[in-house]
Amino acid sequence: MAQVLVVDDSSTVRNEVGDFLKNNGLTVALAVDGKDGLAKLQADPGIKLIVCDVNMPNMDGLTMAEKVRGELKNSTVNIIMLTTENSPAMKDRGKAAGIKGWIVKPFKGDAVLATFKKLAGA
Amino acid sequence: MNIGQRIALLIVTAFLTLSFVGGFAVLQSRGSSREVKSVTEGVVPSAIASVELVGKLKDVQIATMNMVSATDKATATSMRETVIAQKAELEKALKKQLDQADSDAQRGLVKQAQESLVNYFDAIDQTAQFKIAGQDAMAEANMSATVDQYLTEQASIIETLQIEKRRSKDAAIESMNNNLSYTSQTLSVVTVAAVLGLIAMGVLLYRQIIHPINDMEHGMTEIATSQDFTHRVPVNRMDEIGKSLTAFNTMVQKIQESSDLVKQKSADIQAMLHYIPQGILTVTPGNTVHPEYSSYLEAILETKAIAGSDLMALVFDNTTMGSDARSQLEAALSACIGEDAMNFDFNAHVLPHEIEKTMPDGRIKVLDISWSPIVDEQGMVERLMVCLWDVTELRALAAEANAQKRELSLIGEILSVNQEKFYAFVESSQQFIVDNRALIVQGSGMAAQTRNTEVVGLLFRNMHTIKGNARTYGLLTLTNAVHEAEQTYDALRKDPLMEWDEAALLGQLAHVEGVLQEYAHINEIKLGRKGPGRRGGVDKFLMIQKDHVREALEHLEGVDEGNPEGLREALRQVRSRLRLIGTETVQEVLAGVVDSLPSLARELGKEAPIVVINSAGIVLKTQVADLVRNVFMHLYRNSMDHGLERAAERIASGKPEKGTIALDVKLDAGYVQFSLRDDGKGLAVERILKKAVEQGLVDQPETLKPQQVAQLIFAPGFSTADKVTEVSGRGVGMDAVKGFVEREGGTIALQLLTAAVTSEKGFVPFETVIRLPGKFAVVI
Repeated sequence: MAQVLVVDDSSTVRNEVGDFLKNNGLTVALAVDGKDGLAKLQADPGIKLIVCDVNMPNMDGLTMAEKVRGELKNSTVNIIMLTTENSPAMKDRGKAAGIKGWIVKPFKGDAVLATFKKLAGA
Repeated sequence: MNIGQRIALLIVTAFLTLSFVGGFAVLQSRGSSREVKSVTEGVVPSAIASVELVGKLKDVQIATMNMVSATDKATATSMRETVIAQKAELEKALKKQLDQADSDAQRGLVKQAQESLVNYFDAIDQTAQFKIAGQDAMAEANMSATVDQYLTEQASIIETLQIEKRRSKDAAIESMNNNLSYTSQTLSVVTVAAVLGLIAMGVLLYRQIIHPINDMEHGMTEIATSQDFTHRVPVNRMDEIGKSLTAFNTMVQKIQESSDLVKQKSADIQAMLHYIPQGILTVTPGNTVHPEYSSYLEAILETKAIAGSDLMALVFDNTTMGSDARSQLEAALSACIGEDAMNFDFNAHVLPHEIEKTMPDGRIKVLDISWSPIVDEQGMVERLMVCLWDVTELRALAAEANAQKRELSLIGEILSVNQEKFYAFVESSQQFIVDNRALIVQGSGMAAQTRNTEVVGLLFRNMHTIKGNARTYGLLTLTNAVHEAEQTYDALRKDPLMEWDEAALLGQLAHVEGVLQEYAHINEIKLGRKGPGRRGGVDKFLMIQKDHVREALEHLEGVDEGNPEGLREALRQVRSRLRLIGTETVQEVLAGVVDSLPSLARELGKEAPIVVINSAGIVLKTQVADLVRNVFMHLYRNSMDHGLERAAERIASGKPEKGTIALDVKLDAGYVQFSLRDDGKGLAVERILKKAVEQGLVDQPETLKPQQVAQLIFAPGFSTADKVTEVSGRGVGMDAVKGFVEREGGTIALQLLTAAVTSEKGFVPFETVIRLPGKFAVVI
């Protein structure tokens, strides 16, 4: 059982974010791309928050978010995207997929911790 | 009466009017129907019956005649029976006529007919008896004599009755027609009157309801379109419309109040945006700058093209921001605006807080930027507010203040060290740095292990020695710089496999050398402690300078770096104090000279002079104090000896008993200029020329102008004194003074104050003008 699912193809980012959250008392699951993320989410009903990279091989983050809402019919999990860029088109897709927030890399732990804990139900 | 009551009144009135008209019509129709009934059922049948009477009478007459003419008795008897039956019918008909008689005349006629009928039938009966008795002739005679007579009478009465009945019938029909005509006329009039009345009431109501409603609508529309909330719709009634108007006016009043409040608030905001000395703008989705922004922003960004422009171009073009940081900022803005407020917290650290922007003319502005989200009721970031502050000057001031602070702390550190020791420290440290540089270069060509044993240990020791010395002398700034280099060497010493980065090592060494040179420079230039030192003046020097330094440091340390005014004031104070470091006032420098004048005056048998020094806030660097003291000792003595006269002589020439020697100091074109003059007898120009000729100093005396002659006193060996006095003329003449001044880059000259000789003895008033380089002086 984990509270937060961190999805990023970069192990550096994945571990940085994951370790930060673990060190601050959250339980964390890791996934390497959108497909992996969907599988992990399906397997673990405890996940309340997904922190997800946008550009990933196999399945990108926005597609994953759309599938979470569509195929998995999971409308409650909070999704936050990690990104290096942003465009109106991405934001529109994000809105449709019920994405809560956008974090422009670099990720700054202090700025997000309190909100993450709230979104993760911790 | 309110509108409801008015409408109710109209309805009730209409109902009553219609009921009245209907009732009247019903009443009239009932009267008419009664009349019609009486005419159809009474008058007309009665008239017809009266006509039938004649027929019946004829039937009786015929039956009677048949009886009379009957040939047998039986027939006659039968006929008599018939007549009797007919008599009964006739009597019945008359009885009916009596019942239906509608006037006394008719009744009289009917009674008359009944009476006549009795006679008639009596005559018939008599005739019948004659017939039955077989007396036919008697019967016939009686028939024609009495029966016919009564028949005629009877017929005449009935005819009259008929006429009477017909007249009665015609009168009844006419009366009925009149009644109908009256009814229809009355109904028409009443109906028309009712309709007119209802129309009148309707119009009245319309006017009283629709008209005011139209007025109300007009008033409301006018207020709505003009937006003039000071206007009110007049209320002059207390019905529903009046109440609506009062409510509407109350609403307008409320709107006016809130509108005034909103106006006041927007005016405040506008005024704030107009006058606040800060650039404020808001960014809407798409990074577009909102049309409302503070006026000062135009001054900061030096453009008026702000409203609707792209934030990135407006603020971040021509800045030090790199393309990656720029795209990061764009992504962060996009991630915040139009999204949940938490996104601002997530991304605030990506938003830049200070940029350097190059203006079109090449000036660089330092802009402080602060960002805050404007969040709507749903918790979404509607816009971002950006506050820009031009901190160019503040940063420059702060940098200057920091530099001053650093310099002052360095000065403080240096001054705690004896000049000789400090000099020796700098010398040795510089040598260590030179050695280390050579060692680093040398080490680069060595194998790691060799280098470690032969080079790194020495590098460390050298640096450690500098550090030890610096620490001993309390040179903290240097100690810190040295410590870093020492740490690197220590790390290399402990880990032979650590990367040997020659450039980094040399850079670090250069840093140490830079700091050391900064100390040396301050020591030599600012503190004037060049070389191993002049011990004499040092102690006194230190005492005064330390106070200056301490005060200046206090000023800098107490200042709020965010406050430009405070910084400016502190810097001003520090500057003035720093300027005073190593300076003395002209009065202080000349104090010894001035103090010696009264005793000199006594030696010469003269009054002690009045000494005036106008230094105009100029103080002199300590380095030049000795020179100035020596030069002016000579000049003041010359003034006392050759210039000022004895008291008696002065009084005889109309001068005050005491002479005055005045010195003016001023800054002029990069020089500090001293002008010394006295109110003595002046310069003996002719005598100077004569002496100069005698001493072979001048070839063509006639070509020299007095001003040129005056300068001859600076010629080597020139002296006008007849004898060598105690005071002057001891060989160290004006040529020596000139030499001192020129050695420091200055000039000395005599300036005649009038072009011509002013006394019979050939004296000209003059002043001695000395100019020294401006670096020797500071204006307080």
